[in-house]
Amino acid sequence: MRRGLHKVIGIDLLTDHTFSLRLERKDVTFLAGQCFNIGLPDTAVNREYSSYSSVFDDELQFLVREIEGGQVSPKLKLLKPGDSVEVDGAYGLFTIDPALVPGHSFYFIGTGTGIAPFHCFVKSFRGLDYKIIHGTRYANEAYNRLDYSKGRYINCATRDKTADFNGRVTEYLLANPPPQSAIYYLCGNRNMINDVYDILRELDISSSQIITEVFF
Amino acid sequence: MKVAISYPPIVNARGQKAMVSQNRNVQFFKTPTYLLPVVHAQAATWLKQLRFEVIWDDGNAQLKSYEQWFNDLVKAKPDVIIFESTTPVMKFYWRTTDALKKILPNTIFIMTGYHSMRRPEETLELSQTDIVLRSNHVDFVLAKLIPFIANNPDWRITCNLEGLAIREGASKIRSTGHFRQVEPLERSPMVDRDLVQWKNYAFENGNYLQTPGTYATSVIRDCMFGKCTFCRYNGPDLTFSVLPVEKSLDEYERLINEHGVKEIFDDSGVWYRGKEAREFAQGIIKRGLHKKGCYFGFNTRFEYLDKETIELLAKANFRFVLIGLEAADEETLTRLNKGYQLQHVERSLKWMSDAGLHPHLTIMVGYYWQTSEQLKKTVDLVKSLMFRGLARTLQVTLCTPLDYTPYHQECIQNKVLQTDNYDDFDMSKLIVKTPIPHAEYYQAVREMYGIAFHPRFLLRQLRFLLTFKRRDWQFLFTYGIRAIRRVRNHMFNLTRGEGLAIPDPEAPTPL
Repeated sequence: MRRGLHKVIGIDLLTDHTFSLRLERKDVTFLAGQCFNIGLPDTAVNREYSSYSSVFDDELQFLVREIEGGQVSPKLKLLKPGDSVEVDGAYGLFTIDPALVPGHSFYFIGTGTGIAPFHCFVKSFRGLDYKIIHGTRYANEAYNRLDYSKGRYINCATRDKTADFNGRVTEYLLANPPPQSAIYYLCGNRNMINDVYDILRELDISSSQIITEVFF
Repeated sequence: MKVAISYPPIVNARGQKAMVSQNRNVQFFKTPTYLLPVVHAQAATWLKQLRFEVIWDDGNAQLKSYEQWFNDLVKAKPDVIIFESTTPVMKFYWRTTDALKKILPNTIFIMTGYHSMRRPEETLELSQTDIVLRSNHVDFVLAKLIPFIANNPDWRITCNLEGLAIREGASKIRSTGHFRQVEPLERSPMVDRDLVQWKNYAFENGNYLQTPGTYATSVIRDCMFGKCTFCRYNGPDLTFSVLPVEKSLDEYERLINEHGVKEIFDDSGVWYRGKEAREFAQGIIKRGLHKKGCYFGFNTRFEYLDKETIELLAKANFRFVLIGLEAADEETLTRLNKGYQLQHVERSLKWMSDAGLHPHLTIMVGYYWQTSEQLKKTVDLVKSLMFRGLARTLQVTLCTPLDYTPYHQECIQNKVLQTDNYDDFDMSKLIVKTPIPHAEYYQAVREMYGIAFHPRFLLRQLRFLLTFKRRDWQFLFTYGIRAIRRVRNHMFNLTRGEGLAIPDPEAPTPL
């Protein structure tokens, strides 16, 4: 765990309210799935963001949703290359035991920017057998979907018929019951987590195979 | 079916009672502190709503002796007895369970708490406990488990509710898998204040500037950060759950209008921040609750609240803000995963004190790596913050590994623990090997508590009080006197361990 100032390399706008913040990595080490506290220098306010980039990347990358009236995210969006941010971390235990990667399949179910740790998992673990089920409102929120292998990413959009599935992730899971043997990671909105958990348990999937992390 | 949620009075050889303290850790004190166990109170409420006969049996808050508590419980003959324990009183609870089981062989004993949830087999092997809850969502689990037991005589074999360790037979223990990490808190009922006899907890609590005070049903379970290594709200099995703002506001309104409460403290590991914090403050103002003479308080972290939100909270009549400083050197903060930068401490506290909030700092000493230099930095910063009025009160504890937190496990792994007797983990003495003599940490504790009696600090407090409205002078007489009593109590407890060898020959022998 370390703390310090990191220069901004770039901001990539993904939608009107979501962007990817790219920072110099320096000597930061972390485990896939961990988060960092990020704040603007001298503001004395920070927020947690999971790493979007892999453990191998030269940059640190974070997926940020701009919160209306928020104290951190709107200011992050205005940063320019060369500006600095304060970074603390990494923290957290929403991680994958590398010993489980061979021989297991993983289902990553998330909403909105809750997909960030899953992107990091996919990019960090070579040979990972995974499927991502990503809930958004519109299909254009399927951030960087080309980063995932063909057939492994399903975008469930509630307000967009052009998505892979038009509806909630819960509706997708009910229509396409997932396997009992997989390991499930849930990340995002707490209501989604509760609903998905109920569905998985109804399918007799053991509670020991379900790992969750709430995003605000 | 009759269900007792029980907290026995635990008295040590010095006549001190085990009190729930910071982070629901147990410390032995002579003067009382009664903290409502909120999640268990929700569980009791829920079970009552499900039409079970519930006995809210807090022997401490009900001022019973151990014998009286024990005899009353035996007389009540509950079908189920639920305990909540933590490391320093585990052995006491095991003995108590066994003693009760002898007299009440058909009663089902359920153990809850953060120690046993991480070591369920230990409790099942070392006592006659029937079930260990591995979940922190005690209310949700009990609301399913008790009806299941009531309806299924073969529950030991057939119960598959997640997150339990069940004694199946004389030597067979069965796990029902991982517990559910996130629960919809809005489905758990708000605490039935009459059931838990809320007034028993309304006066003796250092977090109240005014009385009667009470604890709100927590809005966050357990902590939305949840990464600090010493804290029980940290582990691969834990994340957090949130209660919607409106539901909490409804409870505040009821507490003020129906119960006449003068102070409400939310003991969530960390309270709302950002948008939710502002919505809450606006809701208080919109409902006119800020004009009812009731103060509000909560726990927070550095770098969670911005100036605008703090000012809004002050406007809504928030006062007591408990905030974990822990230490004042970067290495310690890094090793503890505190997630804030020292350079921002002053500014955050200045925002709070300028707005009229009452920042209460919690500090720990005696980390197994802590050098004289690091310790001095902490003492110096604390003095500076207190003398300049940036913090109003403080609490110092000896960092004690507990409940198999990451810090506890680190201490075991690094072989720095000086005892494995759980009775020694009561925060009354240091139990880890340190680079400097323990006496230096005790001296630091004395020095920090000594600030409360320093003329410079007293003058600052007096100036602060002069800025208050007339009714707030009651603070000087009620909170001030209580604070001095508590400071003396803390100083006695935390420094009497000086020079004691481990194991402590006077370790608690309650039974």
